Amino acid sequence: MTDGTELDPVIHAQARLRVVSALSVLREEDRVTFPRLQDSLRMTAGNLSVHLRKLEDAGYVEVTKTHQGRTPATFVRLTRRGRLAFEEYQEALRALLNPSSSLEETS
Amino acid sequence: MEPIDDDEPLDSPADSLALIARERANLVRDIAPDPRWMYWPWGFAWLFGFGLLFLRFGPDGRVFVDLPAWLPLTVLALLLITAGVITGVVGARSALQTRGPSSRQGLMYGLTWSIAFFGLSTLFAQFGDLLPDEKAALLWAGGMVALAGALHMAGGAIWNDRQLFILGAWTSLTNVAGIFAGPGWHSLIVATAGGGGMLLFGLVGRPRSR
Repeated sequence: MTDGTELDPVIHAQARLRVVSALSVLREEDRVTFPRLQDSLRMTAGNLSVHLRKLEDAGYVEVTKTHQGRTPATFVRLTRRGRLAFEEYQEALRALLNPSSSLEETS
Repeated sequence: MEPIDDDEPLDSPADSLALIARERANLVRDIAPDPRWMYWPWGFAWLFGFGLLFLRFGPDGRVFVDLPAWLPLTVLALLLITAGVITGVVGARSALQTRGPSSRQGLMYGLTWSIAFFGLSTLFAQFGDLLPDEKAALLWAGGMVALAGALHMAGGAIWNDRQLFILGAWTSLTNVAGIFAGPGWHSLIVATAGGGGMLLFGLVGRPRSR
């Protein structure tokens, strides 16, 4: 997908990179509650919702609305596609970083 | 740290990689139960409970501190019940933050502790009257500590957590040493090595970030 020079525009935005980074900690099929994710990322609920919708549109995250007892609960997980995109994004970052860092080491 | 609601990309790849590492560490820390709340209540219960047992029922029937005979076991029981309640509540609250295979694993592991201890105490209760007091006490304490050590080692295997496995192995082996040393010494060893091990684990097991 990426050739090391182009970065995925969906997660290139800092806020969405932070969301995907946090979600990447979860094991596949594990979901985290919306409030816990919001708290951990220190984002407003509205702002997190906006970014989650963009990530959902790209197929990178899955948002599930359900109930815990009587209270509604929203859970978020990273999809397989999102995980792949995140890994490729990290690879691309390292590729951008490595040539310059190896030059510094040799000088 | 200030909230960041930024739609712009970061300038440097190094900053981006640092951001990724930070957010990953934050969520790990935020969804896992605080090890201090999970291990310190047990560490204190063993340290003080078995410490009192040692002082009242020392090796070869020695009495270091002339406490009422009922006191040490009562304190130990109350401390263990308190620890069970604390870790149950903290563990359950943490489990409610996520849903999926990991939280099911955590629930099964928590239930394993309760059911296994229930089974062992049902068995031991059958022998309370048959053994001299000293031996009955050693059977209870040695058996329960052996089970705790085994479950910590199993936890280490389940979550691939080397530190937790070491805690379990340390608890199990010092328990065996205490059993060989005999009644009285066993209490001292469980209080210091066992209780101390859990206090230390609660301290070093905490992921750091932010």
